[in-house]
Amino acid sequence: MSRISYSRDEEVVQRMRPEPMTETEKNAQDQIDDVEFEIFKHKMHMIGLEGKETTMKLGASTAMRFGDVAFGIFTAQGDLSVCATGIYHHAVLGQIPLKYIVKHWVDEPSVGVSDGDSFFYNDPYYAGVHNADMGLAVPVFHEGRLICFIGAAVHTGECGGSEPGGTVTAAKSKYDEGMLIPPIKIGENYQLKEDLLNMFAAMNRDPRTMILDIKARLAATRIAQRRVLDVVEEKGADFVIGGLRKILSMTGEAARKKISQLNDGIYRQPRFLDTLGEDNGLLKIDVTVIKKGDKITLNLENSSPMLMDRPANSYYQGVVGLAMVYFCGWLFHDIPTNNGLLEAIDWKFPDGSFINAKGDVATSIAPLVQITFTHGMFQCGARMTYSTMPDRSVASWFSGFSIPTFGGLNQFGDPVADITPEINATGCGARVDMDGVDAAGAFFATMADCSDVETTESDRPLLYGFRNFFSGSYGHGKQRGGAGLGFSLIIHDTPFFMMGSHGGGSKFPTTQGLFGGYGLPSLFVRKVSGSNIKALMGNSDVSLPNRLSNVYDGSNPEEGKVSFANISSVVSPVRDGDTYSSYAGGGAGLGDALERDPISIMKDLINGLVSPWAVRNIYCVVYDEDSMRLDRIATEAARLEKRKARIASGIPYDKFVAEWEKQRPPAEILTYYGNYPNPGTKALEA
Amino acid sequence: MTNTDVNYTVGIDVGGTFTDFFCSHNDGQSQTCKTPTTHYDLSVGFMKGMSLLARQNGQNLKDFMTRIASVRYSTTVGTNALIERSGPKLGLITTAGFEDTIFIGRGRSWADGLGWQEGRDQARIQKPEPLISPDMVVGIRQRMDYSGKIIGPLKKEDVLTKVQELVDKGAQGFVVSLLWSFINPAHERMIKEIIEEEYPEDYLGAMPVILSSDISPKSGEYTRTMTTIVNGYIHGVMADELNKLGNELRDSGFKKPLTLVHNTGGTKKASRTRAVLTHNAGPVAGLHGSAVLGKLTGDENIVFTDMGGTSFDIGLIEGGEIKAHDFLPVIDRWRTNIPAIEVKSIGAGGGSIAWLNELMGNALEIGPQSAGSMPGPVCYDQGGTEPTVSDADLVLGLYNAENYLGGEMLLDEELAREAIEKRIAIPLGISIEEAAYRIRRLVDAHMGQEVFNEVALKGHDPRSFVVLACGGAGGAHACGFGTFIGAKKVIAPFQSSVFGAYGASTMPIKEVWDKSYSLKLFQWADQSYLSDLEGFNNLVAELKNLATRDLRLEGYRDDQMHFKLELNMRYGSQYNMTKVRTSRLEMRDAQDIKEICDEFTRLYGETYSPEATFPAGGINVDNFSLTASVASNLKILTALDLVGAEPDHAALRKSRPIYWSPEKGYEDTPIYDYYQLHPGNKIIGPAILESPETTYVVEPGWTFTMDAYRNCIMEQN
Repeated sequence: MSRISYSRDEEVVQRMRPEPMTETEKNAQDQIDDVEFEIFKHKMHMIGLEGKETTMKLGASTAMRFGDVAFGIFTAQGDLSVCATGIYHHAVLGQIPLKYIVKHWVDEPSVGVSDGDSFFYNDPYYAGVHNADMGLAVPVFHEGRLICFIGAAVHTGECGGSEPGGTVTAAKSKYDEGMLIPPIKIGENYQLKEDLLNMFAAMNRDPRTMILDIKARLAATRIAQRRVLDVVEEKGADFVIGGLRKILSMTGEAARKKISQLNDGIYRQPRFLDTLGEDNGLLKIDVTVIKKGDKITLNLENSSPMLMDRPANSYYQGVVGLAMVYFCGWLFHDIPTNNGLLEAIDWKFPDGSFINAKGDVATSIAPLVQITFTHGMFQCGARMTYSTMPDRSVASWFSGFSIPTFGGLNQFGDPVADITPEINATGCGARVDMDGVDAAGAFFATMADCSDVETTESDRPLLYGFRNFFSGSYGHGKQRGGAGLGFSLIIHDTPFFMMGSHGGGSKFPTTQGLFGGYGLPSLFVRKVSGSNIKALMGNSDVSLPNRLSNVYDGSNPEEGKVSFANISSVVSPVRDGDTYSSYAGGGAGLGDALERDPISIMKDLINGLVSPWAVRNIYCVVYDEDSMRLDRIATEAARLEKRKARIASGIPYDKFVAEWEKQRPPAEILTYYGNYPNPGTKALEA
Repeated sequence: MTNTDVNYTVGIDVGGTFTDFFCSHNDGQSQTCKTPTTHYDLSVGFMKGMSLLARQNGQNLKDFMTRIASVRYSTTVGTNALIERSGPKLGLITTAGFEDTIFIGRGRSWADGLGWQEGRDQARIQKPEPLISPDMVVGIRQRMDYSGKIIGPLKKEDVLTKVQELVDKGAQGFVVSLLWSFINPAHERMIKEIIEEEYPEDYLGAMPVILSSDISPKSGEYTRTMTTIVNGYIHGVMADELNKLGNELRDSGFKKPLTLVHNTGGTKKASRTRAVLTHNAGPVAGLHGSAVLGKLTGDENIVFTDMGGTSFDIGLIEGGEIKAHDFLPVIDRWRTNIPAIEVKSIGAGGGSIAWLNELMGNALEIGPQSAGSMPGPVCYDQGGTEPTVSDADLVLGLYNAENYLGGEMLLDEELAREAIEKRIAIPLGISIEEAAYRIRRLVDAHMGQEVFNEVALKGHDPRSFVVLACGGAGGAHACGFGTFIGAKKVIAPFQSSVFGAYGASTMPIKEVWDKSYSLKLFQWADQSYLSDLEGFNNLVAELKNLATRDLRLEGYRDDQMHFKLELNMRYGSQYNMTKVRTSRLEMRDAQDIKEICDEFTRLYGETYSPEATFPAGGINVDNFSLTASVASNLKILTALDLVGAEPDHAALRKSRPIYWSPEKGYEDTPIYDYYQLHPGNKIIGPAILESPETTYVVEPGWTFTMDAYRNCIMEQN
């Protein structure tokens, strides 16, 4: 009898850690020689890399072709043992759909799991951080025995929701979000089912990209399947089963060992999100990281309640996934990436909170909720590592998103619906001993690529007005964050197009500084409809903006109906010649800006990375505006004055607290917040 | 043939430590020599090698030089200028609004040129120091769109103002790279004209102006601009050095033009070479040599490997040809779009350090750290303290401490044993020999499995490939890593120690002319084939005209020229391309287009599985690549007579114990003098063959045969 109840499976999503070791796995693991294991581990990694490269080669969506890909080899129980990715949330999220398949379909006569099958999934309840993360997995059988699974997960930008581009900013429930497919068999006997592909295509604004991405995942998994079977032939099925399990076991042990090298402590970072989707509102994630012995516990109690009619919710597993972005890239960079890492991590999610969504609520801006958490994880992690591993102690990369979303017809009349790739060129956070890197990537997809402008313009009906570093986009500090990108898009050569934006931080900056460093300015979208930009370009007007700061410094000759929108904006129709300007933020600063080397500040000033105002008022640097020569003595004096002023402005701590606690945000933005200041949500006792 | 009829082709390959020379005679004979690379002035080592070759031929330098028909030189002058940052101060002129493109570097430029392991640590990333500083970049207000249509015209006064700004800051040359210039180069050309009008050639202030649409007319402004910058950066340095060398050659009696090896797999006169095409030419020459050698040995599918002290390079010969081009080759740390042949460095060598990863339960790891050539392995006794692959080889008995490289270098086995004991054996509780065995097995596995991966990524079955092993450590490890590739046959060429130079001597005159241009060959919207063929045919004709003109200027007749057209194709909105070759240079009708599309789908299905094909999604061509070559009159090496399988007794040296496995421990193993072996000799492994250049390890389960060209052929039993 089928165990499926036609509702979401709350049990399987709790199984994020490795499944209990089977007797077969244990016996097989114990018999593997150390050197042969290292060779096996390397071989599996090679297979993973080949799969990832192949997926990227064959895929078509913007995120896929620029590296938003994860490729994995899973145990027969569904645990992810080997993962090739730069998107580390997949290291722990990719396995849930496989566990679902094992639980529901292996013994289900109407479905079954057989050699030659392929399964598709994109319901974020199981599959990833949002429904744009789509996956495909195939079982690997040897002589009728299930050995493992191979899977590929990729962000395909269009999901057929009520808004194009994979993000439904105005979603009221999950039924606005388009495709939400729990693991489903889409191929048998090594053939995809054309009727199902046809159905997916019919549910999607960009069917061609959808199908190409599915085929890319499948081709890559099939190649990896052959490779794994070669190893099975050579080493035996038990060796492979034991080897995959041993990778998981060793990963968990290594993670615990690394954590034990850190000082015990409790680290807190309340985090705030300023958008509910299409409207403003304040939400809180109360991040507490408890490090004790060889374990880290994430306690997120006291976070805001679940939003019943807005999309700013996340499933708990998505938040755990984003925690692994920090752990895999920054703390566990020398440990394999798989869900064995979770042997070292515990978590407490409050029931009924917006970071532990249930039921039919919308979650289509869940990635924003999750990175709001991750920023807190970075802040806590930097404090946790500072004294024992200072080279791990970094300020946050840009943590707000800022992604133009679009849909419509391109210049060739083909339907397109996707995002532009500037999110892959945000600034890296400052380090204890060096600045952040300008336009380094995205912290959650560090090997991704922001593409060439020409590549984007070649099949999107867009003309970039400019794409340069944005002055002031980084956080100031003794070490500054890396600069982000300012860009403008001009609608070009299309009969029908819509644009919106995904992100947060237009009201409450998403990325704060570290150890006295500055955070980032707020985000915005500037739109001009009925713009005269094309006429100005036709005359090659030299006063047209070269960078975002020129757009509003008074020199911009562009005219039209100007509007400023929240970075979280629902798509709306645009016409040829309309313009859209925004920026992908920089990294946070670290340490006191008054300690920054004035020469470095002047260099940034000359290169247009920092404003004269910030040089004078934040860094207290004095220079001659004509010759741009630094006045060291006057700078020292100005900094001394600033320090004195700081001391003079100081008040006793108790007095500060008393005054601070009187302050309160406007009531209209607290509608969804819960009790202020502490929402009061609690985790259920285990 | 009298002695005076003999003429020579000399191949020269500059390496980090030695410059290699291979001199082939038109009567099938050959000589080789090596000289230390003189980094301060490469021409010194170059001319010294020529003198050595002259002496080997019993001639004075002048007589020898006058008989040289061709000198094919694979130089590192340009690469050195990049690494040392000794190029000129260049100004970049680009489209206004995109001045930061080269610093943005598509975001992930910090990872370009790094291995996958180095890219994991996000906390410490850094971008490389740029070749042009931000203050030397100016934006010109103009704009074109995706079709090359002018959205904003170029204004002369804007150009003059910006150029003056760069001149005032000390620009020594200009790189011009505008958006969409590969489709419409008009504005780039206008800028060049304006600059040349302002600073004519007869003025002292005249400076080179290099256009991206000339150097690299391909899509993608970052890679196109970086290709042009790298070219501009090394252009002057190379020109100076090669002029000096040319003068020395002329003074010595060589009156013909110097020929340079290109990374595109051919050679051209130095005077008609784009500087950027000389990067990494040495390994490409080696790969070309593999194809030539493969024709002699009857092998069409070859993995070329070069295992040195610090690196492990690999390249592919498929069906007797070099087909794999690097998608976006990285030069130093810069992603470019030159049509270079792919020779990949996968970062292991004899100097790779073995260490225990405490975090992962004391797992043995090899590299990525390397002892390099200085201090080198512990056994070199140059101050190295960390055990390396070469130390393990010595401890196992594979190298002769007294006769390494013909006795040129004495190895200290005791030091190697101590290092392995301290760092590996004691912590793991195993013997020194077992530790050495594990190091060797693990590095062989890593190399073999990485090679497997690279071959597989090209859509081939690696097990059907023959391994060609070059480099100082290649002969000692080929059976080991060959096993992990699944190869049944390994060739360690007789010219292995100078294989790059040998390869250079075999290379034809060749240049690749490529250009990005998008055409929808099969339209998704109406499921029809392209019927308007004018764009296709005009572009191919344009490339052919360029190539023909160029080869005529090299002195070749039209009937000597050969052309090969390759198209980079993709489905729908895919980003990566599949290269499809077509024999037609002109499309006659939609049926011709259909044939190309069918070939694309066939190749795609063969490479990635038929399930992955999606012709209904539309098929585009985005890049046209025309290879123009002149057939070389390459003299094939003379085959020697084969003698019996049994080696002469004189070839046997004193046997020594070698630790082949922990199960069997040390086994007394025969040692042979490679120079005393003859074509046709056969030796069943285990055995060691020693030559002054290298050590060949015939592992148990493998059989050695010397072929008619004195190559070492090792086949799995």
